[in-house]
Amino acid sequence: MLTHLTHLSPNAGLPRGDKTTATTKLAAAVMTAAAMATTGIVATSATVAAAATTSGPTLVVYSAQGYDSAETTAFQKATGIHVSLDDDSTGPLLIKVEAEKNNPKWGLLWVDGATAFASLDQQGLLMKGWEPTVSWNSLGKQAVPADKSYVPTGLTMAGTLVYEPKEVPDPPTTWQQLLNPKWANEIGMNDPAVSGPTYPFVAGMMNYLGGVPQGEKFYEGLNSNGLQVNLTNGNTLEVLEAGIIKLALIQSSAGIGAGLKTHGEIKVKFLDPVTALPSALGIDSKAPKAEQLEAEKFIEFVMSAQGQQIMQSGDPTGDSLYWPVLQGVNPLPALPPLSSIHVQNINPYTWGAREDTVNTWFTDNIVE
Amino acid sequence: MTPTLPAALTPQGQGSSAGTSTGGAGPCGTGTGGDAANGNGNGNGGGFGLDNGARPGRATALRSKMADAARHYAGQWLVWAILAFLVAVPVGAFLVQVFVPRLFDQGTSWFTLSNLTQAFQGHTFLGLFNSLWVSTVVCVIDLVIGGGVAWLSMRTTIGGRRIWPGMMWGLLLVPTWLMAQGWQYLTEPNGVLSQFGLYSPLVHHIIFSPIGVVLVDSLATAPYAYLTLSAALGGLGSQFEEAVRVHGGGRLATFRVVVPVLAPAVLASVALVFVETMSDYGVASTLAFQSHFTMATYGIYQAINNLPAQFPVAGAISILLLASAAIPLALQSRVTRGRSYAILSGRTRPATRYRLGRAGKWSLTSVVGLFFAVALGAPGLGAFAGSFVANLGSPLGGQSLTLANYGEVFSGDIAYSHSIAEGASGTSGPVLLSTMLAAITATITVVVGLAVARLLVARRPGRFTKAGDLLILGSIALPGIVLGAGYIFAFNLPIASRLGVDMYETLPLLVMGYLATSIPTTSRIMMGPVAQVHGSLMEAGRVHGARALSALRSCYVPVVSRVLVLVWLVTLTKTFWELPISQLLYPPGQETVSVAIDSWNNNYHPEVGAAMTVVALGACFLVIGLVLGGFRLLAPKGWRRMGGWRSVA
Repeated sequence: MLTHLTHLSPNAGLPRGDKTTATTKLAAAVMTAAAMATTGIVATSATVAAAATTSGPTLVVYSAQGYDSAETTAFQKATGIHVSLDDDSTGPLLIKVEAEKNNPKWGLLWVDGATAFASLDQQGLLMKGWEPTVSWNSLGKQAVPADKSYVPTGLTMAGTLVYEPKEVPDPPTTWQQLLNPKWANEIGMNDPAVSGPTYPFVAGMMNYLGGVPQGEKFYEGLNSNGLQVNLTNGNTLEVLEAGIIKLALIQSSAGIGAGLKTHGEIKVKFLDPVTALPSALGIDSKAPKAEQLEAEKFIEFVMSAQGQQIMQSGDPTGDSLYWPVLQGVNPLPALPPLSSIHVQNINPYTWGAREDTVNTWFTDNIVE
Repeated sequence: MTPTLPAALTPQGQGSSAGTSTGGAGPCGTGTGGDAANGNGNGNGGGFGLDNGARPGRATALRSKMADAARHYAGQWLVWAILAFLVAVPVGAFLVQVFVPRLFDQGTSWFTLSNLTQAFQGHTFLGLFNSLWVSTVVCVIDLVIGGGVAWLSMRTTIGGRRIWPGMMWGLLLVPTWLMAQGWQYLTEPNGVLSQFGLYSPLVHHIIFSPIGVVLVDSLATAPYAYLTLSAALGGLGSQFEEAVRVHGGGRLATFRVVVPVLAPAVLASVALVFVETMSDYGVASTLAFQSHFTMATYGIYQAINNLPAQFPVAGAISILLLASAAIPLALQSRVTRGRSYAILSGRTRPATRYRLGRAGKWSLTSVVGLFFAVALGAPGLGAFAGSFVANLGSPLGGQSLTLANYGEVFSGDIAYSHSIAEGASGTSGPVLLSTMLAAITATITVVVGLAVARLLVARRPGRFTKAGDLLILGSIALPGIVLGAGYIFAFNLPIASRLGVDMYETLPLLVMGYLATSIPTTSRIMMGPVAQVHGSLMEAGRVHGARALSALRSCYVPVVSRVLVLVWLVTLTKTFWELPISQLLYPPGQETVSVAIDSWNNNYHPEVGAAMTVVALGACFLVIGLVLGGFRLLAPKGWRRMGGWRSVA
């Protein structure tokens, strides 16, 4: 019974008055401090807002592209339209778009993945029926949706085979070879439930193999062969470079960029077929009309010669490594000619609608 | 053998202490002298002469009581209202859409239970089960680590005892994902250990397993156990041990006396470590994920990341996480109900140190040193080695060291945002913006957190205390992304926009989001030190004529000043690195340092991200050094010798 020893301190059980009066005062002090601090920040925000409203409404751009800062800066300089850029990963940007559904704050979204845009379109979040007047090449023509709810700005490839030639002199040449015990515990990919560019790869394989059940069988085979699933491209690339795996199935721009930075120590192989992963711009259907018009101007700027030049120079070892969708614009030299690659397009609307069920299946059967 | 105890050491229950709590001291100490003196059963009045107080007439006393009650409840109401606005409203918004998804356009139903049933199925339920057992094991391990380091550095003559507390604070500043990454770099096939021919597949497999998850989570949350326990040990003084020894008790009896006195700290440690581990995503998304070991927070992230996002399912898992906080809370309530643990008063004597023998001293010093070398060395290596190489991934694997990455951070030469030179906050950049936001957050957090801690440790809990405590602990168990999304739901309502009150994507709302994550944790950390500050200190000030605020300033603040400084620094650091809330709430164009680093990493420039991490770490340590140095130079010596966490600041 020694647990009550604490009562040996004098005056245990204090009168409430002092303590609680002090709490009141403390709370009052808190509110004052909070008010002062908030006022200070509001003032700062107000200054920023005031600066922003000098030339019409501010165009709010949510973008995950590595060249977006360069692009928005140039656009602002060329047109005088103020742009507020929220540059982040695709994941958080899409979370914001979804959470803001009943009161959207964005005007323009620029991320990779036609399936993501198709899903937003099916939720009624994208403005339909407008596209810039440009000369699409064949890739571009295939990527423009029928209802013109988003505008493709370039293509990368999902699920390309990335490896280190000194470790893997003879990489696999077909998808089926990945199931060979030779590559047991040596293959890594991203989690489609977390990594934006990975769902199109999973869907692409299902499309290529004839349907969801056939695709599930393929991924179960990969899993039996010791597939390692990481969260994102960066994580998978990291475990490749660390020697934990020998073959990484990741987005082409990540692999080619790593190849440039390591001076050829990392190479990219395009198995037959590889799934196209368009980057695209979509306009918020609920944005004010004036902002939508500014968004259209921004898209036209991106698709202009100057805009394309900025896209190709803004992030030369990352997102600039894309295949253009416009006639007369050539890809950067680090990219192989498209004639050497068999590219398949998947229907983003069919596959976008399946994303939830396919990802849930993947988590329950492959990630677990 | 249990010593025979004198009357003063006899246990006293709720009855006698409740008597002391009535009345309430009016301004300048009127009204309670007799009660206070009677409270300890031997009438010595705590050395402040309260028993000499004048007894006023009944009417005056009644008026005084009513005025005090009004003030008392006004204060409580205000504090809980602040907390409700910052935490309950957004969390409530996030949880209510589980049942009413249509409210925020997250579904078509006006009422459904299907989201909740989904949370009890498949991998989401497995994740919750895994999180529960990992958190429980981590609590036990951290009691040993935190309690061990606290006791050794505060109550023995172990070597380096002035260094270890600082190291523990350093450990608190390391994000869990960085810690997990560090272990990965150490143990992977091409990792640091393999460079020295020490690669072991067994160690690699252990790290990438539930054991590794428990290990890294334990290291990451050990500081919480240390802080809560060391505060109690520091305030304990040696009078309890001496009392037992004087009455013939041996070491075992001393242990039996001292451990119950530390019960609130032990339980506070368990509660805090439990919910911090439950809410962690850094390890859940790295080591655990790669080990095919699903944890609850992964389920939340996965549901939110889906397209269309499944916020209602994430909310359902959050409800279970919130409910899990009730487990340690129930334990705490059961053990500490109706007892006072106040030990820090005007009569507290400094503790004496247990003198270790030469062999014991060196072996224990080595053990503690090794612990910190491992705990801090692994993540340090991850961040630092990575920042210098041209391409992150194989830190020492033949890559050339380069400072070019730092050039990018400072100059922003590549046509790319997030450099210190650019950044939306004009020329200041993310590091300065984050420092400012973190400083504002830390300042408000310290004040509100102290007020909340005082309410939480009150002997007679107020009307909202229990609910408030569950809210506080429950909100700590929720990962930041839940609060972030909840803030969007609650503060981006169409009606607010129509009224012209657009708070979403403004810096004030971002700071509010930060406060919502920091106040619960800090008030919980401060509960230990605050519970120990005896009411007699304030009474002494009031008896001598000081008004409440003045007594608070002159009698209370000095005792808790070091605690406030350290809590301010922890909050500053945690806020500085906060990612999920920043990502969802930061105003476009004004990215915080964590958002900038994350963008670099995700745009395949992890080497620049790592360099910015090092620069930001430098800025963080600079602020910490300035504040600690300032406190040492400017605060009166006595301020630094009282209260909890003595050996750091």
